[in-house]
Amino acid sequence: MGVSILPPSAPLPPRRDAPTEDSDVDMSDDELPTSNSASIVTPGEHITSDPQWMRGHGTYVPAGSGTIISTVAGNLHKTNKLLSVQPLRARYQPEIGDLVIGRIVNVQTKKWSVDIAAPMLANLPLSSINLPGGILRRRTAVDELNIRTFFSEGDLLVAEVQSLHQDNTASLHTRSLKYGKLRNGLFTSLSGAGGGILSRKGGVVRSRRQVFTLVTAAGEIDVVLGVNGYIFISKHTAVAATTTETGINRLDEQVTETLYSSQNDEIEAPVLKEITRVSTLIKGLVACGAKVDEDTIVKVYEGAVELEAEEQSLGGVEKGVGAKGVVEAVLARLAVENAG
Amino acid sequence: MPPQAALVNLSPAELSFLRSTLSQTPPLRLDVTKGPRDFRSMRAEYDVLPSANGSARIALEDGTEALVGVKAEVEKTPQTPVLGEQDDVDMSNGDEHSDGKGQGQNAWVQVGVDVPGFRDDDALPVFLASMLAESLLASGELKDRLYINRRFHWKLYIDILLLSPPLSYPLGLLSMTTHLALLTTHIPSLKSEKDEDPLFDDDWDAASPLYPKSTSKSSARDKPPVIILAIAVGPNIIFDPAKEELAVADAVLAIACTTSSSSSTGAKIVSIRTIDPPSHLTPPAVPNSMNSATGGTAPDSSAQALTMREMLATSGVWTPPRGGMKRGLVSQVTKMVVEKGGVAEEIIGALAGIETG
Repeated sequence: MGVSILPPSAPLPPRRDAPTEDSDVDMSDDELPTSNSASIVTPGEHITSDPQWMRGHGTYVPAGSGTIISTVAGNLHKTNKLLSVQPLRARYQPEIGDLVIGRIVNVQTKKWSVDIAAPMLANLPLSSINLPGGILRRRTAVDELNIRTFFSEGDLLVAEVQSLHQDNTASLHTRSLKYGKLRNGLFTSLSGAGGGILSRKGGVVRSRRQVFTLVTAAGEIDVVLGVNGYIFISKHTAVAATTTETGINRLDEQVTETLYSSQNDEIEAPVLKEITRVSTLIKGLVACGAKVDEDTIVKVYEGAVELEAEEQSLGGVEKGVGAKGVVEAVLARLAVENAG
Repeated sequence: MPPQAALVNLSPAELSFLRSTLSQTPPLRLDVTKGPRDFRSMRAEYDVLPSANGSARIALEDGTEALVGVKAEVEKTPQTPVLGEQDDVDMSNGDEHSDGKGQGQNAWVQVGVDVPGFRDDDALPVFLASMLAESLLASGELKDRLYINRRFHWKLYIDILLLSPPLSYPLGLLSMTTHLALLTTHIPSLKSEKDEDPLFDDDWDAASPLYPKSTSKSSARDKPPVIILAIAVGPNIIFDPAKEELAVADAVLAIACTTSSSSSTGAKIVSIRTIDPPSHLTPPAVPNSMNSATGGTAPDSSAQALTMREMLATSGVWTPPRGGMKRGLVSQVTKMVVEKGGVAEEIIGALAGIETG
């Protein structure tokens, strides 16, 4: 399979409104398009002017009229008498306590600006990072001058949203051993809003375990699922077991020795392969519109490994084109297993 | 200001990781289901613009999408004034140039590239347009086909539009879309003769394709060129690189090829260019031994930093590749492209398959 060119996908179904849209004054209950979920509304489209409906997310009512108008492009949802529009694509809305993965965009004197896929860049102040060696002290002018030794442009980090400002910009912190600079791995991003009721199909599920270790034939690999849809897959770094009797501060020191390192450890070839495989499968999951959480990743990974083993021993295992094809094949098998 | 305007905003650790995956044998690509010679899967259609002579649209799976329209207009050929005896516009004497061999001019083909987020005079669109125009004009057959008679010619406007931001270097995609659009371009058939004012057949069904279908089975159909991007990472050669793969490449080669008339090779090369890989502009990683935050000592001067870097032996530190492509690799790439059943034959065949099937 060198080149695969497919015909264009099927055209979208015809719009549900069309000519009778002008006379939406007496739109009755059953005319609401909740049954036809395939249709989408566009920004500025009149949804209804029936006063029995309440407006929810993604809609607004202009002053002096009772018409509910969509503000985003997406599917219309109805919860009792509440109308809301679920956007097809949306940016991540940060919330306090979210575990996010970010990329440093620029460095200022006392803080970094971090891209976390939100509408605005997040801040990471110099005062909310751990200093190497776990020293607790005030940040001095020397630290400000050396700010690039901690994080510089392009660096990836995992952090937690500490607070939100009035304009919805997030302030991050990395004051835990779980957080900090990312290395030894591969970054993947999936677009779309994170958790919440209005999240699109697919995407990272909030309020599940987001940092977990996947056991593979080649060894353990760490997966970090940021709520903002950024994902990092890396080689598992084991904490040395000899530190059991030493105090908590020693442990801190050991870990933070390489906390701000930007060089990779030696990674064996099989581990490299498994890391790229997991990343490809996650992309395939997104292409299939499936939710991304620990459970599905583990299942799909195991299925894909099985599939490959079967193909090597028997040959001719049916699997489609590319990552999406593999994930589809695995999901289909899982569905058969669950049914049987 | 950052030390370098980052074209690639990947961290040094990521670059080092990508580099080590791509230098494995066989290379592990970002999409592990793909081998080094595989192209990303795409969706293609043609004749999408009703008012253009030929058009095509190709969308890659990562969301990059290109639209190309080809429009042909009749234009008067500016006559160069000749001193002395001027032979009149002669209706009988036009035989020697009636096929237009060697009469075409480069100005008759105009290529415009529009990339969102870039101005018309930015380097990227200008460079892309000139590379595409160069490959189209290289063989000289296309411009000769635009010759109508001594006073008139077709002017071909090729408008190339990238519908999405350039996620990876879009040359390959734009070239494939242009190829498909030109392959399906029809120009109205001529009813007038010789040096008369041109008069065309109104019947669109009678229009002739710009790249005529081959009449005999033996000779391959003449096809517009298609540009193939190849990168070298260490000893490995990878075709159709994704953005991240491009970011760690040693060298990038753009090879324009078309169908060959000889049967020994699968394709022939029309033009070849190297492209400066974005990896040259990436900042190098700071090794642990030089990072004060990881227990190392920061060098005092830039000269000392340079010596420390040169003596570095650890593999996990990202150092931007230096220099160009080895001769051996270039010849290996060209061989992989033009050989029978090579990459060029594969991609041209796949694009032709859309039009026929």
